[in-house]
Amino acid sequence: MPVPLANVFSRTNFSALDWGIVAGYLSVSVVIGLLVRKYVRNMADFVTAGRGLGTCLGIATLTGTEMGLVTLMYSAQKGFVGGFAAFHIAVAAGVVTFFVGLTGLIVYRLRKLNLLTIPEFYERRFGPKTRILGGVMLALGGILNMGLFLKVGSIFIVGVTGLSTEGWALPTVMTVLLVLVLVYTVLGGMISVVITDYIQFVVLSAGMIGITILSARAVGWEGIFGTIQAEMGERGFNPLAAEGGFGIEYVIWMVFLGLVGCALWPTAVARALAAESPQTVKKQFMWSSVSYMIRNMAPYFWGVCAFGYIATQSPELQEAFFPAEGTGTEMNNLYAMPIFLGRVLPAGVLGIITAAMIAAFMSTHDSYLLCWSSVITQDIVAPIMKNRLSTSGRIRLTRILIVAIGAYILYWGLIYKGADDVWDYMAVTGAIYFTGAFALLVGGLYWKRASSTGAVMALVAGCSAILGLGPVQDLLGITIPSARMGLISIGLTVTAMVVGSLLFPDKPKPAAEAPSRNETAFSAGAASSKEDV
Amino acid sequence: MGFWVLLWKATLVVGLAVYAGMAIWVTIGGARDIRRLFNRLDEQHKQGPS
Repeated sequence: MPVPLANVFSRTNFSALDWGIVAGYLSVSVVIGLLVRKYVRNMADFVTAGRGLGTCLGIATLTGTEMGLVTLMYSAQKGFVGGFAAFHIAVAAGVVTFFVGLTGLIVYRLRKLNLLTIPEFYERRFGPKTRILGGVMLALGGILNMGLFLKVGSIFIVGVTGLSTEGWALPTVMTVLLVLVLVYTVLGGMISVVITDYIQFVVLSAGMIGITILSARAVGWEGIFGTIQAEMGERGFNPLAAEGGFGIEYVIWMVFLGLVGCALWPTAVARALAAESPQTVKKQFMWSSVSYMIRNMAPYFWGVCAFGYIATQSPELQEAFFPAEGTGTEMNNLYAMPIFLGRVLPAGVLGIITAAMIAAFMSTHDSYLLCWSSVITQDIVAPIMKNRLSTSGRIRLTRILIVAIGAYILYWGLIYKGADDVWDYMAVTGAIYFTGAFALLVGGLYWKRASSTGAVMALVAGCSAILGLGPVQDLLGITIPSARMGLISIGLTVTAMVVGSLLFPDKPKPAAEAPSRNETAFSAGAASSKEDV
Repeated sequence: MGFWVLLWKATLVVGLAVYAGMAIWVTIGGARDIRRLFNRLDEQHKQGPS
């Protein structure tokens, strides 16, 4: 007989004290975000905080942005489903980010060009049409990618607090969280974002380490390895195991996503562009490689612990998450980690941890909202209007777009019914943008013969990534693993860039239009010093 | 399988320890960077209206 959901959710330790801690934290965070808005005077202040981020602040804000609640949730889901084998994703992200920091691959040169956004690079290298098309692809992939953030974050809140028995809880929490983030992002721009990111980094770091230690205590450090061995066998540890859910294709896809996460993804690149110098960017990324690894690995471990707890200590949850065939519907496994934490963490600690998680939620939303809205303003609308848009007009439009994107993610979170793992959904939707961006950035920065026609072809080829999405495959009646579809898309975009550039090279510029210093800085031959990667 | 168990145990423990150390350094250095950021923005705004 199915377990009543009310029983599953109601046994949380979340108390009035915890609600007080959460409310106090949110108030302080929003007030500080509002207080610093007086420093915003122009678009550079609004979008890149006046390019004044030092190394430590850069690491804090990069970590705060990229360690969102959605990251923690989808990672816990991967750990719950894949066991310790999921750790390979975290290791790939950490190693690749360190490599990017060490060599400065892509990010160093982008920062040297003093850009505000990636499509601005497209324009300088490939012309204004490529900038607009690149901006459209970026906004499309990015906003679609962000579509489940709000819902997944809210699932954590209702799961950990025990609100979820109420039908109104999820949409209400989604709306309240969204309004809070919109208020200070709209008013303060990047300056508010980096200051609140810093506070959130501090709270979040303490919370992550605390949860990991308390989770290990709840299920037993040695016991959890034994449980995974007994329940999953080799597939719970070895990502290449034949019967596992990963495999070599998936591992290669994860290595590429490691590169995307730090060097191609606009919110990460935005931190590089906001750094006070190109040298700072390299230090920032080398140090951030640790947080890029831990932001995934710690929540994988929580997911593994949730699995161990359910398998060994809670028959009632076992029945809810793994019902015997024909006895009921399997509960959404995104709830596993928050329900686990709600049961094993004591009151008070739960409030601090939830505040840390909301910190993670807010620090990601503010940056993403700012990033996509500024791309639409700077890279689509302003070029179409031939740059007749004033500074105040740009800031006003960016603020309107922040609210519009917020409304969209509320709507999408409520209607999307795909069955993909959240991580795989995000990888596929993000790939619409980043497979094309990979070809354009690498080609544009390191290959002299890359042409604007090749760039347009590569951007269009990036759309093929959407075929990796579950509902799209259902519609077309095809079945291709998302990792394979992602790798195919990369192959298509690179091929399109190479073939397009060789068949349709750009016309040589007349002497009067000789490239400026900035333009030559990203041609392949300009890598004159060892540092200038 | 013993190799994988040992690898993931070591990676988690070492990773968390390094992260904890980095978090302390970034917390202290970040506060200093915020002061510098505000000073720099004030200077920029004094030098010329936007």
